[in-house]
Amino acid sequence: MIKIVGAICILAATTWIGFEFSRQYSERPRQLRQLKTALRSLEAEIMYGHTPLHEATRRLAKQMPNPIALLFSSFSKRLIETDTTASVAWETSLREVWKWTALNKGEFEVLSQFGQTLGKHDRGTQQKQIVLALTHLEREETEARDRQSKYEKMIKSLGVLSGLLLIVLFM
Amino acid sequence: MESIYNLLPPAIQSAVQQLPLDRVPQLEEIRLRVGRAVELIQSNESEYLPISLQEEDVDYILGKLSKHSLYMMDEELRRGYVTIEGGHRVGLAGKVILENGQVKAIRDFGSFNIRIAREKKGVGQRWIPHLWQNGRWVHTLVVGAPQTGKTTLLRDLARIVSTGEESQRIPSKKLGIVDERSEIAGCKRGIPQLTFGSRVDVLDACPKAEGMMMMIRSMSPDVLVVDELGRKEDEDAMREALHAGITIFTTAHGASLAEVAHRPTLRPFLEERVFTRILELSKSPTGKRVITLRDEMGKEIASERSVTRS
Repeated sequence: MIKIVGAICILAATTWIGFEFSRQYSERPRQLRQLKTALRSLEAEIMYGHTPLHEATRRLAKQMPNPIALLFSSFSKRLIETDTTASVAWETSLREVWKWTALNKGEFEVLSQFGQTLGKHDRGTQQKQIVLALTHLEREETEARDRQSKYEKMIKSLGVLSGLLLIVLFM
Repeated sequence: MESIYNLLPPAIQSAVQQLPLDRVPQLEEIRLRVGRAVELIQSNESEYLPISLQEEDVDYILGKLSKHSLYMMDEELRRGYVTIEGGHRVGLAGKVILENGQVKAIRDFGSFNIRIAREKKGVGQRWIPHLWQNGRWVHTLVVGAPQTGKTTLLRDLARIVSTGEESQRIPSKKLGIVDERSEIAGCKRGIPQLTFGSRVDVLDACPKAEGMMMMIRSMSPDVLVVDELGRKEDEDAMREALHAGITIFTTAHGASLAEVAHRPTLRPFLEERVFTRILELSKSPTGKRVITLRDEMGKEIASERSVTRS
């Protein structure tokens, strides 16, 4: 009886570990997709809404789920409260929020470059910069999806199977 | 002044704030150029601060000017200046971007010129009894060369029209301002930053001819204030306003009334004696400001020499 309970415990633990590891692979494309939605909304706010940057990002923060919302809300707060340029505020917010995201270095570069252009151009150029960032993120997303389809299932089953292996060994 | 200090990068800001207090009210312009010393201008004299504008400061100033949203300032970038809180104006210069041969925007900014708006309340006070006749304001033309204070005088007259003048039993009137160059009212997002009474409506950055018609149709002002008449289409709009029973206060560039009388747009009005009162602004050789009041025939009624140098 004890043996069966122990076996179930081991199986549950390794399965959970497997799922946890595989989540990295499913989180990344999800967050990339949210990020793209956010940038598209920002574009609309800029092009059609004529909203100032701090207001536009504050609204975005309300619409988006975490951790993307965190990035925008912290950026918006920095713009209002501190005496910096938009690019510095973006960079600091990005670094601050980065550890909560599942995103890679490639995305970091794209976003930080995008931040350099924020609020510094006329409407047409600003839109082009957003579209550029979107294209880069698109590329990252395809790559992220590729990896997801490759590794996500594998790691999940690896968790379960390694649990079974341990059980067989200990039996 | 607070809104100007806020705009300046910290280092320059503290340098300006270290100026002796009695100097600050006299400042007319603060000029900032990348890599050059900061220039302060007061009454035609300039002085340099021992600090220069760095390239990274440009972004700082632009961020402050636009609230980090330069994309919202397309119109301002086309015109080349931004009006900030307090009616002060920041002129911009840099690389100009063209589209179909028209200026589209400025980028790569090299210079900023912060022009400090200063209201001189009361400069028009003296002329009020002459401009108010038989229970209404009369058509008035202010003539003067640049920098003689035409707009300042016009602004003060406008203020008096909208507030009324109790001591002379002049009631307040509805006032419409067509402010093509945002100079009379100093609007920021449609709200006048300079003091007027409560009965003022402003069409900011609107072409004069169209603006006058819009004002007449939509706001039914008693007095219409327009700066710098001079283009052909202004003439028709003027006529429309005159026949709508609206009093017009306007200005014209020119050293003297005789000179203005030669300008094709204004000549018909002067010949028809439309302007009941004409205020002529000039500078005497000693640099003193002289204001001459004339009637519709061009005859001098009164004149005033200001004690202060302009």
